[in-house]
Amino acid sequence: MSFSLIFKDELMGFYKSKAMIFLWIGLPLLAILVHVSSQSADMSLSILVSLVVSSIGGLLASVMLTVNIINEKDTKVYDLFLIRPLKRWHILVSKFLAVYICVSIACIISILIGLLVDYTESQIAFDIIVQNIYEPFIMTLSIIAISSAVGVLIGVVAPSILVGVLLVIFGGNYVSSIPSIIPFVFNIQNPFTIVLILGIIITTVLMALSILLFNKKEF
Amino acid sequence: MEKKIKCIKCGQIITISGNPGETITVTCPSCHTSGKFTFEKTKSSTLEETIVKINNISKKYKDILALNNVSFDIKKGEIFGYIGPNGAGKTTTIKILVGLINKTSGHVFINNYEMPEQKSQAHKFIGYLPQKVAFQQWRTLNHALTTFGKLSGMEKNSIQPRINELLEIMELTKFKNKKINQLSGGTIQKVGIIQAILHNPSLIILDEPLEGLDPESRYQVKQIFKDLSKKGTTVFFSSHILSDVEDVATKICILDWGRVIKIGTLDELKTEFVKEKQIEIILSKKSNKFKEISKLPGVQNILEKSYEKFLINIDKTDNYDEVIHNIIQTLLKNECHIRSITPIIPTLDEVYQYYLRKGDKKQ
Repeated sequence: MSFSLIFKDELMGFYKSKAMIFLWIGLPLLAILVHVSSQSADMSLSILVSLVVSSIGGLLASVMLTVNIINEKDTKVYDLFLIRPLKRWHILVSKFLAVYICVSIACIISILIGLLVDYTESQIAFDIIVQNIYEPFIMTLSIIAISSAVGVLIGVVAPSILVGVLLVIFGGNYVSSIPSIIPFVFNIQNPFTIVLILGIIITTVLMALSILLFNKKEF
Repeated sequence: MEKKIKCIKCGQIITISGNPGETITVTCPSCHTSGKFTFEKTKSSTLEETIVKINNISKKYKDILALNNVSFDIKKGEIFGYIGPNGAGKTTTIKILVGLINKTSGHVFINNYEMPEQKSQAHKFIGYLPQKVAFQQWRTLNHALTTFGKLSGMEKNSIQPRINELLEIMELTKFKNKKINQLSGGTIQKVGIIQAILHNPSLIILDEPLEGLDPESRYQVKQIFKDLSKKGTTVFFSSHILSDVEDVATKICILDWGRVIKIGTLDELKTEFVKEKQIEIILSKKSNKFKEISKLPGVQNILEKSYEKFLINIDKTDNYDEVIHNIIQTLLKNECHIRSITPIIPTLDEVYQYYLRKGDKKQ
């Protein structure tokens, strides 16, 4: 009961935040602007949108989570939660899921807009466009999941917001790109299945580590 | 304990004795009917009444010993004031008590649940206000309190009426739907107190609850403490405002350098401090013979503060009332007119300073 309550609250807190409004409206707008200004005929808007969303969305997710957790840790917000019959992991997992769902929805909205533009601009059948976008979409979701988990981990360990943001910008991006690089470096067949599996494994490991450290933390 | 029971057969009153919880065989002296009787486990048994038991706890932060073998018990319904200078270890004790930090050694029990091992059970009984209370900024006051009510296991239907009741008491109803980031520091402190008592916990632990509150709010909060105590809720609070501690605390613990310097009721704390009882007498008419009172038994000395105002030290072993009576009689007999007689009672501030200095000397 406590987990669903915390999760619903966190979801409400994040989707109402200014950063999320930027993600939901700004990102699709940014992708369209890039598409219009580049006039690139080689890349469809939906694929371009996926790339933009995965890089900017992932970074935003990790920065949001890091800043949020460090801020709440510093201002002692957790004290009032931790003295109630509530598991510590509920706090971290609910934050992770809330941000992941919000960013994923932003990603879906952006990609759907891209699909719509692609469909109206080109003569290619809709199911072929969808087939082409499927794999970048999986990669986007994996990268956002890892970025979010990195954000949680850095939020738990970083001593200040500045250090946390620097770690996210200079370290988080590298970690989140691991699943998208490995299959291609080792020339693995069916790379997107591996991307998905690696995404799940890395996210789980990072979240488990965050929970372990958060459980040991003294407030 | 002794009890009188009635024989179920002949109605003879039998006096029996035994310990709480003990079962004894009783035989009626008149009809010789036998039966078993179990004495009640009374609430006065020490183990049941003790809500908090702190046993030799120490806490080390690297090389700094923040708490050094601190031990005390808090009984049900007590208002326990925890005082000490900055860095004495008050907040550390409180955080160990609520399970936010771990002790280096010793044992802590809340309602017989050991902390932090059984903290999930113990947390059901606790209401807590940290030194710097903070809420998630995007929540409204009502939303924050509703969440804490639900997390504390309150019945869904009882949360809103209880929030309304407490907001009314604290005069915060008009802020109910305001966002936390729109509230002043004092209001947030009051909301913090509300969340601590919202679920009617049997133990309330508050770290400087009166800090940042205006005199009216401090009075309200102190009244709440007294009301809760009457209902059997135990209140443990730390404070720097000694006059407030003096107003409400039924037991006081002075902590310094991580050690308990003194613990007891205010009267017990004063007993050691007060070497003799002191009264202040103001005369509206003074005669030359007023010094006759220095010859009275029990009067140690007289200190003249001004022409008509003087202090009399009375030996505390003597009969205080008798000595006062004799002083008045003597003054009247010697043509002195009394305007007022006031017993001088040391404040907690004076008592506190005394024990701190004493503690320093011991170190």
